[in-house]
Amino acid sequence: MPIISKKNSVDSIFSLITGVASSVVVVLIIGILVVLLRESSLAISRFGVIHFLLSTDWNPVKESFGAASTIFGTFVTTSLALLIAIPLALGIAIFVTEIAPDFMKGPIGIAIELLAAIPSIIYGMWGLFTLAPIMSKYIEPALQKTVGALPLIGILFSGTPMGIDILTASVILSIMIIPFTASISRDSFNLTPSVVKESAYAIGATKWEVVKNVVLPYSKLGVYGGVALSLGRALGETMAVAFVLGNNHQITTSLFDAAATITVTLANEFTEADKDLYLSSLFYLALVLFIISFIVLAIAKFFLLKAERRYSR
Amino acid sequence: MSDQVEIEAKDLSFYYAGTIHSLKQVNLSAHKMAVTALIGPSGCGKTTLLRCFNRMHDLYPKNRYEGQIIFEGKDVLSSDVDVIKLRSKIGMVFQKPTPFPMTIFDNIAYGLKLKGITNRSELSEKVEKALKNAALWDEAKDKLNVSAYDLSGGQQQRLVIARALAVEPHVLLFDEPTSALDPISTSKIEELIVQLKNNVTIIIVTHNMQQAARISDWTGFMMLGELIEFDRTDKMFTAPSEKLTEDYITGRFG
Repeated sequence: MPIISKKNSVDSIFSLITGVASSVVVVLIIGILVVLLRESSLAISRFGVIHFLLSTDWNPVKESFGAASTIFGTFVTTSLALLIAIPLALGIAIFVTEIAPDFMKGPIGIAIELLAAIPSIIYGMWGLFTLAPIMSKYIEPALQKTVGALPLIGILFSGTPMGIDILTASVILSIMIIPFTASISRDSFNLTPSVVKESAYAIGATKWEVVKNVVLPYSKLGVYGGVALSLGRALGETMAVAFVLGNNHQITTSLFDAAATITVTLANEFTEADKDLYLSSLFYLALVLFIISFIVLAIAKFFLLKAERRYSR
Repeated sequence: MSDQVEIEAKDLSFYYAGTIHSLKQVNLSAHKMAVTALIGPSGCGKTTLLRCFNRMHDLYPKNRYEGQIIFEGKDVLSSDVDVIKLRSKIGMVFQKPTPFPMTIFDNIAYGLKLKGITNRSELSEKVEKALKNAALWDEAKDKLNVSAYDLSGGQQQRLVIARALAVEPHVLLFDEPTSALDPISTSKIEELIVQLKNNVTIIIVTHNMQQAARISDWTGFMMLGELIEFDRTDKMFTAPSEKLTEDYITGRFG
């Protein structure tokens, strides 16, 4: 049967092409991992794993390198950004899907997407020239006067408000990730069947109760997805943060201090890395970021699967 | 069956999004402890009418009512009515089962919690009572804490009825409640509706004329937004006064 054998050969070519395309992804990931490992091997053998992760020392002159301060900077700016962005993004998504009159839905949706389309370098410039002065002149002194006076958390707002610091970087980051979280949350809110919402209204629920008890649980999955995506973006974001974080390798208790993230360190220091160990340490740092991102993604996936199983039917 | 009127539409007209005239001067009384069925061809306005009673149309902009709906001596269409309270007195069950993404227990306790009941034992008691009233207790009592999505379609529909009953409404509106169900689940729901009328006034929209004949005491026949005829079910199905009703019931159109 020539027709069938021809069809089969077309099919096998087709599966070969798609298979090759898919395996490129796997090969790339392994390739990148191998390069990172090879380039950082000098630093790994010199500093070990535990010492490198725990040491706050980042001294190119003495050639002593540790990742703790940049890991700290990455985590603090990222989590603070999420803390600021998630409530705002959910608020935007709820407003757009459930509350805004029809004529406002379109323009707000477009504005959110435009916000996501702005290149991060522009956020960085805006942060440096506009946001940082506003932060140091108005917002940070105000914070210092109010919450800064409280015991325990007051320490977060101590020091001189310079505007080039952890807080400003986190605000910039949060502005950058709001569109992701908001538009994915909005899309998943829209998937809530309107008849389920109606039946909540039909037993006397208010708008807020419908959102809280029906829409949010229904779209949990998508919201987690949006947050995971934002987290990934925030961890890897470089340019916007580089302008306003101050690039100072230190672990600090005040949000008004400068710090450094892994990405910012990599972007700033590759050109200066004149010695092999310095260069190798930067690769080591990249490897750490690679692994952190991998773990974060794995955790996000785990939660997504769990939520999926719970509401699969 | 009693002759006391529970809820009454007077010269009720309704316009979707300001322009489309979907209900025209409807006059209809639903009697206490009785099942009132609304029948008619697709698009005749029977669901539109049903959704007027608990002001479901308020959820979408630019809808407009005219006329009155009298319930407990007040016009429910007047602007000073608390729609949230109204809906806890006039429940609704939809075409497709609509469990919330939570456990069976929480689904039924939901309306109670909205009313401010937080006492755990009172909640359990009312949930049990509602499940029993909805003929679901025996099937659900051992899995109150599993997701409502684990129930079958027919069970989900009874769950939704239990949820509506839990808040002890005076009127229960059914919008084609069996059209997504198999025959066995359908007959269970029908039996349930007949039992329920002793406690709550029922208005049901149905595509299925046999269903209307089986379970209702009063029937309204609608066409093109008008209530053509409204009478006791036995009379409607044996000796309708209107030619149109007779044609529809005997299957000449629709």
